Amino acid sequence: MDLATIAGILVGGLMVFITVFHAEGLKGFAPFLNAEAFFIVMGGTFCALLVNYPAGQVLGLFRVLKKVMSSNVIDTQEIVTTFVKFAKKARTDGFLSLQDEVKSTKDDYLKRGVQLVIDGADKEFIQNMMETELGFIRERHKIGQEIFNSLGTYAPAFGIIGTILGMILMMTSLDDVAQVPRRMALALSAAFFGLGSGYLLFLPMAGKLRRRSEEELLIKEIVIRGVLLLQTGVAPSLMESNLKAYLDPSTRNLIRTNTAGD
Amino acid sequence: MIRVKRLNGVEFYLNSELIEQVEATPDTVITLTTGNNIVVQESVDEVVRRVIDYRRRVYEERQAAIVDLAKRNG
Repeated sequence: MDLATIAGILVGGLMVFITVFHAEGLKGFAPFLNAEAFFIVMGGTFCALLVNYPAGQVLGLFRVLKKVMSSNVIDTQEIVTTFVKFAKKARTDGFLSLQDEVKSTKDDYLKRGVQLVIDGADKEFIQNMMETELGFIRERHKIGQEIFNSLGTYAPAFGIIGTILGMILMMTSLDDVAQVPRRMALALSAAFFGLGSGYLLFLPMAGKLRRRSEEELLIKEIVIRGVLLLQTGVAPSLMESNLKAYLDPSTRNLIRTNTAGD
Repeated sequence: MIRVKRLNGVEFYLNSELIEQVEATPDTVITLTTGNNIVVQESVDEVVRRVIDYRRRVYEERQAAIVDLAKRNG
């Protein structure tokens, strides 16, 4: 569970709540409890999305949403330690001895990479295959980010549309002047929902997806480097120092492998 | 060109002119000048022996052809 995302959204909403409550008390919420505003903003945004993207990608939105909420469990330390272990084994018993180790590997990308080494593929082939896959993973991530970006762009616009709609309707029934402020507030609440969801929800989520994507891609870059180094029969200590270069100093210190004197 | 066998048993011919270094890791890893790395089943000594045999054969055939030509032209 990504606490930052959840906390951010909840606290943000709470701030708005407190602001309204503090200013007007409970009756301040009246203009916000407005079904029409909600419909036009959410409905309009979602429909614009359907026009923009193929249906399959829009439905995939919920899977992507899950990604925003969950925290990254991939452990960089584990990857480095695994490669050092493999390098050690390959140096003593050859590549074929890695076959059993590979079977118990959890990371799929790592597993396939090392399997290529065991199968005796040459470096260019391995590099080509793994980098191509990385490229496609990057592209798929971009789609998710793009969708949330679009949502963040459409929502405020539809909020404004809702306000304008409300104002038009208000203007056509100006006979009851006492109702004007109330109707105006209703109209403006649409803008609030639109801008609020756009800038508190959708755009930040797009940003979070971008960060998650970068984290995941870094891991995969480390895996590619590890696989290629493994194939050259590099010494475990060199493997360790080479892969540690990808990590920040605090993570580096956490890695405890017994490679002194290799 | 020397004949070598990959780890998965597939045999192929490798252009020995491209060989930069051969190392035992303990599996034999041949590094080419192109930057590519190839892993083969033959031992390091065997690979070197095959390269020498190949060059010797090419040289011998060349010598034979020259001698042959010289004989024919008197």
